[in-house]
Amino acid sequence: MSENNTLLSIEDLSVHFFTEDGLAKAVEHVSFSIPKGKTFALVGESGCGKSVTALSTLQLIPDPPGKIISGKIIMDGQDLLELSKKQMRSVRGNDIAMIFQEPMTSLNPVFTVGDQIIEAIRLHQKKSPEEAHKLAVEMLSSVGIGDAEKRVYEYPHQMSGGMRQRVMIAMAISCRPQLLIADEPTTALDVTIQAQILDLLDELQQKNNMSILLITHDLGIVAERADEIAVMYASQIVEQGDAKSIFGEPMHPYTKGLLKSVPRLGFEEERLDTVQGNVPNPLHFPSGCKFHPRCPIGCNDEKCKNDEPSLKEVKDGRLAACWYAPGY
Amino acid sequence: MGKQPTDKKNWGRSYGEMVWKEFAKSKLSIASLVFIVFLFFLAIFAPFLANDKPFMIKINGQWNYPLFRSLTASDYAVFLAAAFAVFQLLLIRRNKKYIEPSIRGQVLGRQVFVNSLIVVIGTVLFFVMVPRRLDATDYKEMIVSGSAEGAVFAPIPYGYGRTDLKIREQPPSREHWLGTDDVGSDVLCRLIHGSRISLSVGFVAVGLSVLIGVFVGAVLGYFGGKVDFVGMRIVEIFMAIPPLLLMITVVAFFGRGLFLIMMVIGLITWTSNARFVRAEFFKLRQQDFVQSAVSLGLPLRSILFRHMLPNGIAPVLVNATFGIAGAIFYEAALSFLGFGVAPPTPSWGQILSLGVSTSGRFLWWLTLFPGLAIFLTALAYNLVGEGLRDAVDPRLRKAA
Ligand SMILES: Nc1ncnc2c1ncn2[C@@H]1O[C@H](COP(=O)(O)OP(=O)(O)O)[C@@H](O)[C@H]1O
Ligand SMILES: [Mg+2]
Repeated sequence: MSENNTLLSIEDLSVHFFTEDGLAKAVEHVSFSIPKGKTFALVGESGCGKSVTALSTLQLIPDPPGKIISGKIIMDGQDLLELSKKQMRSVRGNDIAMIFQEPMTSLNPVFTVGDQIIEAIRLHQKKSPEEAHKLAVEMLSSVGIGDAEKRVYEYPHQMSGGMRQRVMIAMAISCRPQLLIADEPTTALDVTIQAQILDLLDELQQKNNMSILLITHDLGIVAERADEIAVMYASQIVEQGDAKSIFGEPMHPYTKGLLKSVPRLGFEEERLDTVQGNVPNPLHFPSGCKFHPRCPIGCNDEKCKNDEPSLKEVKDGRLAACWYAPGY
Repeated sequence: MGKQPTDKKNWGRSYGEMVWKEFAKSKLSIASLVFIVFLFFLAIFAPFLANDKPFMIKINGQWNYPLFRSLTASDYAVFLAAAFAVFQLLLIRRNKKYIEPSIRGQVLGRQVFVNSLIVVIGTVLFFVMVPRRLDATDYKEMIVSGSAEGAVFAPIPYGYGRTDLKIREQPPSREHWLGTDDVGSDVLCRLIHGSRISLSVGFVAVGLSVLIGVFVGAVLGYFGGKVDFVGMRIVEIFMAIPPLLLMITVVAFFGRGLFLIMMVIGLITWTSNARFVRAEFFKLRQQDFVQSAVSLGLPLRSILFRHMLPNGIAPVLVNATFGIAGAIFYEAALSFLGFGVAPPTPSWGQILSLGVSTSGRFLWWLTLFPGLAIFLTALAYNLVGEGLRDAVDPRLRKAA
């Protein structure tokens, strides 16, 4: 991947939470690059540090207790972590926008959806209230909300979850960001609505030529949509590569496990496999490879128990962190 | 689509309207609100309701209007403020019909600003221009002696500063419905004029307290960490001050004065508001819609006061109504102890303090009526507060 195709690159990011129960290393030495106009998927079970990674790019980590310990987040040759508060504010919404998992709670209950979109529009663009209003109605219809002229006056509680997520998307793209971070955008929605929302994101990506950082715990939904995939486990990336080759030839046992748990058409009667066990708590990570207690190979391998593998290129464009990955 | 939608129904209901609908479900809340409005009516029109000067009187064949001539600058200021408050309420109704919701907030802000400015300028002008006329004429005496005729008096034809030692400490009678006090002033008249003090103490003191409390609480709750730690220690220092003692000390140093009392009450009671707002902001800070507001790059001012405050203001509003009741109590207590407003300015607490006369007699009418006024007013504010709390509670609204 050549440099000038990269929109945003995260280098060696570590984020720690200093909680009352101890130090939680929520993200450790994470690096990846998001190409321009492409979809980059960050996949992993809940609690592995996906949201913290995403929030770090916009510096939304609650501090205290969280702190970005090390790393760079580079966009247009500029390390975002070195920007002043004011400069960072103009990055937010303008260059990078974000939509959240819970559409029920991510809109302000006391304002109409129109008000909220209008505020976002007028924040970054010089527009009169009337122009902004017109634009808000246009945005709402462009995200597939029918009767937008009326619905612009509705309050969030008058809308369904899917509708609200559309409003969130309208708000996020109202300033035409170059990168849209979607943190589990469909997890809270019905399956049929999920596909609609993801299709909408695809369509908007084509139209605005923006990059998307798609965060999900469900490998199934990224299959046809992601260009690149990074699999996260216990605060680290354990495998990374382009989507096709990861689905065709998974290298890390965790990725294999995740893939087995994806339902596939035509095999519905078959029981789905899941990865045994639970995600370890960041307060008490296991020694060695953090995946070894759940790993079919690692659970009785001395090397896996004692030494931690780092993320390495094992093949052209493929990274993995496993002693037993082919080519490691 | 036209600039102004003609069908106002498709604008949906505003947050304020939803809260009002919930509030109006309780008859007790409405009754309390009506009572408070009634008190305001008494306070605003006090000079017309209880006055020893007649509206009009014919002296030597010439009509005079002593009551109107005796109105003071503060009377005019009260009328002006009341008129503009009503005007603003009418404007709000009009806005709902003709102004688009997206710019209603801005329009309302402008209107309130202009109207307040007019009231402030008007008040200053009144104090500069209206002369203080001391009119000690006894018009009733003139009627009796036949030197004047055709007088039209207020429903309660006594002045609050008028003394008459011949009729001091009289129990309720046909002439003086609630009796007279230690210098022979009509108690009902003094109660009506005293309502001005009690109501304004409540509003100004609590207004100040809410203003300081919201600002401090919002900053502490949003930033947390070290800011919060230092801020909370300051809040605790203020909480440790015994309010009544500080008030008495301040009055002892700077003299009696209504303004001073309001300031001191406001400067002491803000801590509870700060703690409510701080607790709310702690919760709100982590909520998705606040995160999403930050992620859009909104300025801190908008995040704190536009997005978070309306979602966290409910406990403060409720607390404010209790605070108004509390401020009324404080003023009454200070006046009862003799540290309140200086006579002849009437206040409920001051009348209450006369209940035990210097001769040691217990004058029940000087205790019962002002006590009842204080009690009912505090109760009404508390009931409105509770109604408001139920109305804004989102969990209750969801269940409904
Ligand atoms: N506000 C917080 N306070 C303390 N720890 C946190 C906080 N947010 C996240 N963490 C820690 O970071 C870990 C990763 O969280 P997160 O990134 O939200 O996971 P997910 O991959 O499900 O999005 C959590 O397991 C938790 O230990
Ligand atoms: Mg998450």
